[in-house]
Amino acid sequence: MISKTFLKETRELMRDGRVRIAFLIVIVLLGVAALISARQYKNVNEQYELAKRSERAIWDNQGEKNPHSAAHYGTYAFKPKYPLSLLDQGVDKYAGTSIFLEAHKRNEAQFSAATDQTGLARFGDLTPDFILLFIIPLLIVLLGYNSFTKEREMGTLTLLKSQGVSAWRWALGKWTALFFPVLIITAALFLVAGIVLSNLDDFGVFSWSSLFIMFVVFVAYYIIFINIVLLISSLAKRSGISLVVALCIWIIACLAAPKAASNIAESKYPYPTRQEFAANVLKDKKEGLDGHNPWSKQAKLLQEQVLKEHGVDSLHQLPFNFDAYRMQKGEEHEAEVYFKHYNYLKDQYIKQSRIYKGLAAISPYLPARFLSMSIAHTDYATHWDFADAAESYRIATQKFLNDNFAENSEFGQWSYRADADFWKELPAFEYNPPELGTILSDNRSNLFILGIWLMASFGLLMFTTKTI
Amino acid sequence: MIITNNLTKKYGEQTALDHLELEVKQGEIYCLLGANGAGKTTTINLLLGFIEPTSGSAFINQLNVQENPKETKRFLAYIPENLMLYPSLSAVENLDYFSGIAGKKLSDADLKGFLAEAGLQTDAFGMRISTFSKGMRQKVGIAIALAKDAKVLLLDEPTSGLDPKASNEFGLLLQKLRTKGVATLMATHDLFRAKEVGTHIGIMKDGSLRQQLVAEDISLSELEQAYLNTMEYKELVL
Repeated sequence: MISKTFLKETRELMRDGRVRIAFLIVIVLLGVAALISARQYKNVNEQYELAKRSERAIWDNQGEKNPHSAAHYGTYAFKPKYPLSLLDQGVDKYAGTSIFLEAHKRNEAQFSAATDQTGLARFGDLTPDFILLFIIPLLIVLLGYNSFTKEREMGTLTLLKSQGVSAWRWALGKWTALFFPVLIITAALFLVAGIVLSNLDDFGVFSWSSLFIMFVVFVAYYIIFINIVLLISSLAKRSGISLVVALCIWIIACLAAPKAASNIAESKYPYPTRQEFAANVLKDKKEGLDGHNPWSKQAKLLQEQVLKEHGVDSLHQLPFNFDAYRMQKGEEHEAEVYFKHYNYLKDQYIKQSRIYKGLAAISPYLPARFLSMSIAHTDYATHWDFADAAESYRIATQKFLNDNFAENSEFGQWSYRADADFWKELPAFEYNPPELGTILSDNRSNLFILGIWLMASFGLLMFTTKTI
Repeated sequence: MIITNNLTKKYGEQTALDHLELEVKQGEIYCLLGANGAGKTTTINLLLGFIEPTSGSAFINQLNVQENPKETKRFLAYIPENLMLYPSLSAVENLDYFSGIAGKKLSDADLKGFLAEAGLQTDAFGMRISTFSKGMRQKVGIAIALAKDAKVLLLDEPTSGLDPKASNEFGLLLQKLRTKGVATLMATHDLFRAKEVGTHIGIMKDGSLRQQLVAEDISLSELEQAYLNTMEYKELVL
């Protein structure tokens, strides 16, 4: 009975001109979105590779130079574009692509794609994630809203009941008929994306297992929508009512809930303004050692302490350059200040994320979106991870430079120049994003909520169709 | 095959069916006559198990309908006044689906055989139902009953709206099913068709069965008179 109903429903769907047009539109949109994203991905990756190579070449070829001058000259940490961002661009567009690493200062990521766009970008981009997260659920609504109501309206329900139809088998037949075309479209997109990505040169951290898990997340997301749409159709008296209710659910789940979650999270745990943040950092910085100011109270205290430790009475008697040593100590103080203030931001972010996760119970969109972005390495967590890695690299770089300055010169010898080959000894910045296992572990609550949505909606559908 | 014992259905204070005692044996065609609201459709809906009786019981093939809703449906086929099928599917596809729902696995040849037996023209087998007339749809309904190998046929005003030729063809099909031993209960307004195809005729009014007649024992005019008497119609005086 399930296969008969599946075949019947599929035939009806395929013979409906509106359905064929809807399918065609979705497939064309997906194709265009995938093409645009693949081109963007290729361009960004080429730019990334070029920028990384040229910046390293500039660093390596600074020639003879004072290490602290080099620290101020700085370098860049570039955020790689990950293969699965082809499918879900997440917050990449807004998060910035590179961080300038310099002495005394932790900078934020800059040069985001959004800043290069005009106001028209507010209309949004045609990306695969837009199709996957918004359009396919809408397609499910359009395909399934009258699945049960049409039987009532056409009068076929009476004949079906007189034939002794088994309600759950019949409902399962309808369910599979709606699920199958959605599965085909999604599987085709992911398969094509997988083949394209695995054939790209230097495709980075692409893994079929990540792609497969992402596919499973989207399939689960669609199953939830199928369950909800069929549930509405089974309860509604007329197709018109069913369509309106299903569209309302789509609007709430996909459009209203994410924005409401964002507003609630932001109002409950707000970030400080840029000015506040900068003022707080400056205040804390001033309360500690400034590596460039030998006359400050903190610098004098440090001087006394170091002289005492080494049992000498002049800075010239120290076995290292005290200027560089002070610079490093100042750097460490500044790093602590930044650590404290960025940790506060991160705490706010974690609290906001908890609100999001809590509100995921009101919309399957939220857990699906968080999982998808995490797997694609395009979420804020990955961005934070990258920013932290860049900061650790900045701190290590400053120590590397200050140590060289301290060990190879004497107090007051600002004319010291490090060897032209010295710069090459600094290890290159490499960032490895979290592994799939870590991502899934960090997203346990999202997986759990998605699972609850999946089982509850299916159970409710089966329970309701029993009484048809 | 069909038995009702004191079958009663009430909606609040209103009695839709009042202690109906009825029996339709194998190979009989029982025609229920009556005005709108007489209780004909209620009787059929109770036999189908679509509604619960207030009191009394109905039996299909010796099984209580209320207690065995699924099992009793295995033995019966139902053709409503307006048989609605899936318009975008062909006659063969509709038959395949409805017989499949009833648990029958039939080959393409079997399906076509049933459609032919029901009197549908061969060139209509593959045509979409949306192009079918009501008479053609009713033939597909008969094919569904044939494919199901139904022992009981419940018909709710099946000839209403059919042209005389189609109505006659439908009557012949019922006769054919009768020879196969099918017990048929047909609710109708059509006295002529009831006399033509029925073996037994019951006249209902206000939810109760007022008269039971053997079709071959009476003429059409006697049936007409009996009907009018039951309905308490007065002769129209010009």
